[in-house]
Amino acid sequence: MSVAEILALLGIALTAGVLAGLLGIGGGLLMVPAMVLITGFDQHVAQGTSLLVTIPAAAFGSFTHYRHSRLALRDAAGLAVGGVVGALLGSLTALSLDEDLLRRLFAVLLLAIAARMLLTRPQAPAPVDAEPT
Amino acid sequence: MVSSFTRPNLLILAAIGAAAGVLSGLFGVGGGIIMVPAMVLLAGLAPQRAAATSLASIVPIAAVGAFIFGRSDSVDLPAAGILVVGSLIGVQIGARLMPRVGDDRLRIGFALFMIAIALTMLVS
Repeated sequence: MSVAEILALLGIALTAGVLAGLLGIGGGLLMVPAMVLITGFDQHVAQGTSLLVTIPAAAFGSFTHYRHSRLALRDAAGLAVGGVVGALLGSLTALSLDEDLLRRLFAVLLLAIAARMLLTRPQAPAPVDAEPT
Repeated sequence: MVSSFTRPNLLILAAIGAAAGVLSGLFGVGGGIIMVPAMVLLAGLAPQRAAATSLASIVPIAAVGAFIFGRSDSVDLPAAGILVVGSLIGVQIGARLMPRVGDDRLRIGFALFMIAIALTMLVS
């Protein structure tokens, strides 16, 4: 890996991290296109690498929520049971798709998310404790 | 705090997780983008609790995806290491700039930027 590539990846990650924090969206959505368009990664490799990077980021964030008692492990386990089955199906499907097709499908996902950002006003998150019991 | 929460139906949560898992595996993203609104709308969770819960479930979801992609040599390990370091620093900076969340100009500017990226990916 060249120095230029290392610097490019650092820049991509820094930017994605800052924007993800600011906009409340996941970093993968930003890192995948950046890896494809800037560092010239194959769409499949960009997506696989993004998934691996997501693990420590999500684990770190969850630990903070857990320590502040904002996390119901029962509910997370419910999501995860369906989630791992879905992830298995989704990733096997992605790997079976042609690179060009997968990149275009990703572009359609970006367009859909951008449209949703333009059409819906963001709601301030309600304080956790405000939920009626 | 957690004990005072409502207890949403686990089947509904598993179904939401399954949809997010497919999206995550298919596109290499976390899946929070559909889990959080779905949990608020279908399971009646408060947005902040939905966000915390979805983040925790993303750990095993992304792990399954990374494993499947890794088996097909579609994970670049050195690149992942650099990206982890950079994004951890970036998130700290982003958290400090947090008061700007909800700034309409930021959101609209970013949406337009994403449209430009999407169009580039479509024609390249």
